[in-house]
Amino acid sequence: MVRRPSPLERTVRALLVALALVWSGLPILLVVLSSFKEAKQIFEVPPSLLFVPTLDNYAVLWREKPEFLRALGNSLAIAVGTLAVTLAASTLAGYVYARLRSRFLDISAFGMLAARMLPPIIITVPLFPALNALRLNDTHVLLIMLYAAFYVSLGTWIMRSFIAQVPLELEEAAAVDGAGMGTILVRIVLPLVVPGLIAVGLFVVVFAWNEYVFAMIFTTRNARTAPVVIGEMLGTVEGVQWGVIFAAATVQLVPVLALVVALQRFLVAGLTAGAVKA
Amino acid sequence: MTEAGRRRAGDRRAVRWFHYAMTGPALGLLLAFLVLPAVYVAWLSTTASTYGQPARFVGLDNYAHLAADPIFWRAFWNTFFVVNGIVYVELALGLGLAVLLTGPMPFKAAIVAVILDPSATTESSGIVMWRYMLEPDVGLVTQWMEHAGLPTLEWSTNPIATLLLASVIAVWHHLPFTFLILYSALTTVPQDVLEAAEIDGASRWQAFWRVTLRLIMPAILIAVLFRYIFAIRTFAEVWLLTEGGPARLSEVLAIYLYRETFKYHEFGMASATGFVMLAMSLVIALPYLKQMYREAARGP
Repeated sequence: MVRRPSPLERTVRALLVALALVWSGLPILLVVLSSFKEAKQIFEVPPSLLFVPTLDNYAVLWREKPEFLRALGNSLAIAVGTLAVTLAASTLAGYVYARLRSRFLDISAFGMLAARMLPPIIITVPLFPALNALRLNDTHVLLIMLYAAFYVSLGTWIMRSFIAQVPLELEEAAAVDGAGMGTILVRIVLPLVVPGLIAVGLFVVVFAWNEYVFAMIFTTRNARTAPVVIGEMLGTVEGVQWGVIFAAATVQLVPVLALVVALQRFLVAGLTAGAVKA
Repeated sequence: MTEAGRRRAGDRRAVRWFHYAMTGPALGLLLAFLVLPAVYVAWLSTTASTYGQPARFVGLDNYAHLAADPIFWRAFWNTFFVVNGIVYVELALGLGLAVLLTGPMPFKAAIVAVILDPSATTESSGIVMWRYMLEPDVGLVTQWMEHAGLPTLEWSTNPIATLLLASVIAVWHHLPFTFLILYSALTTVPQDVLEAAEIDGASRWQAFWRVTLRLIMPAILIAVLFRYIFAIRTFAEVWLLTEGGPARLSEVLAIYLYRETFKYHEFGMASATGFVMLAMSLVIALPYLKQMYREAARGP
């Protein structure tokens, strides 16, 4: 039944939507805009919307904070590495859980889900000394493995539900033609579960690119990531250089924001596909 | 269940060794980096352990120490209030937003895109954004409130204000998650059921409470559960605002654990704290895990 909303109702709805947009978008917009302002304009109230944009903050960031650029590179390498490891591990396991049954598989599929309930911070206690002994602290590989471990169960469950939708006949036909397991997986199944791969990839990349706590704990210099460097810039004792931080936050945010906006429909698909279904 | 799913339920393909091997990378990652460390933590929580000394079994001493430590209880109750605040405020906002955006609306895709934006920000940038508005004296909103003669949020000195702001920022970060789950659940509510209710004389309000809400209750429970599990881990928001200060008054459990580990090197105490967090998470997750166990046993 399509009820014609009254003018009052429409006005209230429009106001509420505007409020939601301000709540979600304004904090981000203010920082991005102000990254193009001179220091003395940054804390002007009301903030000026019409101003001559300057790239000074970006120049200072480039000149005086070489560690930020390096950290961005680290973040990228770690995000890409986590993406590759998680997609590979999730697809392989997701296929088996979608297609085959055994006591072991039933229990381990459930175990993967239960493991997601563990608060990851608790593993820092035994992991830190162990990783020191293995000389894995402050390496890219370590963060990639940790992040993959945090997301592989979500990834597996998403891939399991996507692969379960692929008609078995397609696989059987390929098998009759003599295709082996690997060929079937790569040539038949994978092309049909691209939306699942994108959904998992999006969750993983956003997480790995943005993760703060574990990067802060397990890196010192070599594998320091951008979110941690931004956090450090906030904590400097000699007074915060707001404009420079805004520039750093903007550079860090823009690529991942573009990704989320461009691929948002896959988020819903992923969330409903087994991640959190009832 | 889909056609493919039904077919496969009757399918009893033999599980070969390489099928188990294919689950190896996923299970190996989980075992090495989550499950085994968690088991080790459980054991470590019954020992006195620090750098350079072998762990010594002390039974439940660490838990007794925790129970006697006012700073632990402070962190416990801070976590309790922060977690519950986050979960239910987020549920109310997420549900309201999902209802608001259900149905035709101009520019809807663009509106949803903006609402999802906070989920793409890193925690440290989120703090940058909120501090820019609420920094003492100079923050844009702080200045505006002072100008308007309103009280300002003294988050850097008042622990309750710190936790309040940390909760607001956490809600800001994670509202898109709750919103998306509830929004996609709402789109599955069949219109004819609502029409039938209205024909039977139910007001729209009644139809919402008695029909819509009941139909999306599974999604609500899932959203609440996952937000509980993740909110218990809250660390970065508080850490980046005040590091749990002043005087450890705004600490949450994750920060308490972090300090015990990396500042005091009391690994036994830290592990006991971790085990408390673990137990809280599992108790909350129990009904969900029970249901998922049945689902796993039934197959995809």
